[in-house]
Amino acid sequence: MITFQLEFQILEIQNKESLSSVITDLNIIMEPTEYSELSEFVSRAEDRRDLLMFFRSLHFFVEWCEYRKCTFEHFKEKYSEAVRLPEGAASSCMVVQSPRQPGFELVIVWRIQIDEEGKVLPKLDLLTKVPQQALELDKNRVLETAPLGFRALLGVLGIEAALESLITSLCVGENH
Amino acid sequence: MEWANDKSKGGVLAHLERLETQMSRSCKNLEDPPRETAESDLGTKIHKLRCLRDKLRAEVKQRQARIKASTANAEPDQTLEISEQEAVGGKEENMKAILQAYRFTGLSGKRTSRGVCVCISTAFEGNLLDSYFVDLVIQKPLRIHHHSVPVFIPLEEISAKYLQTNIQHFLFCLCEYLNAYAGRKYQADQLQRDFAAFLAGPLQRNSLCNLLSFTYKVEPQGRSFPFCARLLYKDLTTTLPTDVTITYQGTDASSTSWEEQRASHENLFFTKPLHQVFTSFARNGERLDMSLVS
Repeated sequence: MITFQLEFQILEIQNKESLSSVITDLNIIMEPTEYSELSEFVSRAEDRRDLLMFFRSLHFFVEWCEYRKCTFEHFKEKYSEAVRLPEGAASSCMVVQSPRQPGFELVIVWRIQIDEEGKVLPKLDLLTKVPQQALELDKNRVLETAPLGFRALLGVLGIEAALESLITSLCVGENH
Repeated sequence: MEWANDKSKGGVLAHLERLETQMSRSCKNLEDPPRETAESDLGTKIHKLRCLRDKLRAEVKQRQARIKASTANAEPDQTLEISEQEAVGGKEENMKAILQAYRFTGLSGKRTSRGVCVCISTAFEGNLLDSYFVDLVIQKPLRIHHHSVPVFIPLEEISAKYLQTNIQHFLFCLCEYLNAYAGRKYQADQLQRDFAAFLAGPLQRNSLCNLLSFTYKVEPQGRSFPFCARLLYKDLTTTLPTDVTITYQGTDASSTSWEEQRASHENLFFTKPLHQVFTSFARNGERLDMSLVS
């Protein structure tokens, strides 16, 4: 849960044709959360005095975080031997380990960013961890191109299907 | 009784003595208990009377205290009523203020006889802009009774996607589109209003304000050829352009300084709101003037 306190000032100018309102001051005090991306967003909203953007972006940010948590929990449940959540389901990282080859690990980092304009975007990256021996055997440089390939996969299949295909490819032959 | 001999004389006296003792003994037996019962009766009576007296005294005290208290409260009671009224009135004001404040979250609503009327407020960088409303009828299926959303906002598309399944998402999505439109419109209006001196021709824009075309100069009274700008905002939920094309029509178009300027302008238009770009042009112009003077 995210708790915050808002203080703002509005200047209303009434001229002959219309009433114009401008937010002249905005102070946001947010309780520290597990989401590191929020503090930068909060100070940006304060600088721009964009109160409405603050509420809107916060809503979408929280929705994305909920979705990420649900997705991680779903995969942890479905592939319990292969999937690990070292920092919990509410964190940004999920580790997929091959049960038969524990030296091979795929780390999926799923960050939720709020850009300059307040748009909330998910950003997923793939990190690989393999034994030195495997690295030497990798003539086709699959491991080097894996992060890029993952991005492309995301574009084609979407988040859930891309993660599912990644997990199943590492756990070939397992019965689920 | 017989007075016969000494024995009987002794007998008579002894007899009398015996009778006397008997009598005194029986008198004793008769007298003591009555005294006790009389005493104890009186004692109980006294005790009862004392209890009654204490009870009555206590009651009198209570009544006196009540009278005192009620006379003392006669005035404060009135003031209590007034301050209660004020408190209720103050609470009402507070509630009204809170309901008004919800407008500043961007989404607020009120119940109607049919359902709910949602008000979407828009703003850009602290400037509060127009509000739009969507009147929803709570029925199966949920439908929009009427609304003030402009025709060029894809309301049908958004409601087809989300209205029936996730009304919250529908509202926030619509909020995004409307705020982005309001922000683009604000930028275009500001450009026309405050920086007309920089424009070499009219600002061409469509109703969605996502395609802007204009010619501009970096200095208001500059003798140089103007730049042509074409800004396209493909993503309707953003207030910054996705495509920027700046061309320079001057005869020395190939010179590097103009190319550098053109490229830097393109970058500016990508990253800053329109009116801020022109504010920085104005500021640069001032700096240039200052350097010429000194």
